[in-house]
Amino acid sequence: MSAAAPAHGHDHSHDEHAHAHPTGLKRWLFTTNHKDIGTLYLWFSFVMFLTGGVMALLIRAELFQPGLQFVNPEFFNSLTTVHGLVMVFGAIMPAWVGFANWLIPMQIGAPDMAFPRMNNWSFWLVVPAAILLVASFFVPGGAAASGWTLYPPLIIQQGMSIDMTILAVHILGASSIMGSINIITTILNLRAPGMTLMKMPLFAWTWLITAYLLIAVMPVLAGAVTMLLTDRHFGTSFFNAAGGGDPTMFMHIFWFFGHPEVYIMILPAFGVVSAIIPAFARKPLFGYASMVYATASIAILSFIVWGHHMFTVGMPAAGNLFFMYATMLIAVPTGVKIFNWIATMWKGSMTFETPMLFSIGFLCLFTIGGFSGLVLAITPVDITLHNTYYVVAHFHYVLVSGALFAIFAGVYFWLPKWTGNMYHEGLGKLHFWLSVIGFNIAFFPQHFLGLAGMPRRIPDYALQFAEWNLWSSVGAFLFGFSQLVFLYVVIECIRSGRKCEDRPWEGADSLEWTHLPCPAPYHTFETVPEVK
Amino acid sequence: MIETFKAVLWSFFGVRKQSEYEADTRRLDPRAVIIAGIVAAAVLVLGLYGLVKLVAP
Repeated sequence: MSAAAPAHGHDHSHDEHAHAHPTGLKRWLFTTNHKDIGTLYLWFSFVMFLTGGVMALLIRAELFQPGLQFVNPEFFNSLTTVHGLVMVFGAIMPAWVGFANWLIPMQIGAPDMAFPRMNNWSFWLVVPAAILLVASFFVPGGAAASGWTLYPPLIIQQGMSIDMTILAVHILGASSIMGSINIITTILNLRAPGMTLMKMPLFAWTWLITAYLLIAVMPVLAGAVTMLLTDRHFGTSFFNAAGGGDPTMFMHIFWFFGHPEVYIMILPAFGVVSAIIPAFARKPLFGYASMVYATASIAILSFIVWGHHMFTVGMPAAGNLFFMYATMLIAVPTGVKIFNWIATMWKGSMTFETPMLFSIGFLCLFTIGGFSGLVLAITPVDITLHNTYYVVAHFHYVLVSGALFAIFAGVYFWLPKWTGNMYHEGLGKLHFWLSVIGFNIAFFPQHFLGLAGMPRRIPDYALQFAEWNLWSSVGAFLFGFSQLVFLYVVIECIRSGRKCEDRPWEGADSLEWTHLPCPAPYHTFETVPEVK
Repeated sequence: MIETFKAVLWSFFGVRKQSEYEADTRRLDPRAVIIAGIVAAAVLVLGLYGLVKLVAP
């Protein structure tokens, strides 16, 4: 894409002195600036990532050897439950909203998000929700222990932590819906002249589609947890068989939300990788329009595959077959994306800075996660693998080496834009290699454990599973502690004063690189650029 | 109308020839594309259902 207008960012530096901005805590509390709110989201998600990570390490410490070593089984179940909830709702999703806040206005030539005050409200809602989730460990009965899926009837029997979890989910849902309305309105109404939809960077496209998915499914989750709440306190029996209800109905409702939720976490990752691979291959993205279409197709298909999460509950064979076929169809548009990224790299002048390394790591490992997903899509295979470690391995390949690696890639790619400084490349690469090695040692053996029949969500296991569990725990600790390198790299970058050029990546050609200096000024595009 | 459905069906596959895509952007109405997309998704579901009925009577 080419753009005609000169850089606008410099013009506004005087504005920052024209009207006083609050400083200190007030700046962050009352901010309506998309960049500030993006920063808040990103730091929040990192804190939650470490919180969920500590829970994961407690889980892996317990599983290092057979027998009960560190935690009791009830607390272990709470750990797996809250680890999942914190990572999904506290780490991955807010991280993507942080990226959206920082990048979408700059990428489409808008001065800010469409509803800046609602944007502030969206962020400050997630904080009490996170506090509710984490604080639920300290109430009588301990935190929710039913798994992140909150399945009844177990969830109906537990203590007040469930009510805290339900309230947290409600608040997070409200925040996500407001964030989505903001993103959709911004993209549809605030694009610079000439920035047609099909000229937008793919990150904006993937977020537009993600926002629609969020608006479609978050109310479904809210409905499901509200029914849980009334089952618990108001005498209804939606999911209680003794009162004429059906626990299986919860599964259907939950997974009608839950499967699109997976795509909510992964589609923005596709957008980030589609920005980084062309930049470091120094070639335009291969098949841009195909990528947009494939993203839309994946989003549509995500609504008709939820049953593959519940092949074992006793659906009719016809139902299982339908969900099996529909699930396999997803491999087509996803495969198109993988081939497009490879074709983008083909004969490119590639260099392998940290963002590119994480993107290639994403490409290879997400593909493994996709393939194990195809294995699980086959109903008879899934019936033997359901609730085993194979499933745990599968979704960690999709969400850690998929979504999380793309988040790392994006942070390294845009850190110069956000901070004005260049990160330490050597340490970035160290972070990549430690992460990729630790991750694979942690999660690849879990395929073997699952195939051998080890069930998930258990604190103790039979002796034949001991060796791969040991390796998995070693890998998990390596992966976990290597994230401290990431924290150091980010803080070192912010404080280093190692100024970067305005275009540190010569192959990056979206508006935030071509039209704005590094760091991006506090206010950008108050005079709209014209895109040709 | 046929052109709209052709574009939508290629989109379901996730691939479109550059020249065809450029022609699409000139001649297609986005509202028609969205409606065609919803219709095609419904047809896909019904098609899968039919296939399932065929193999699992």
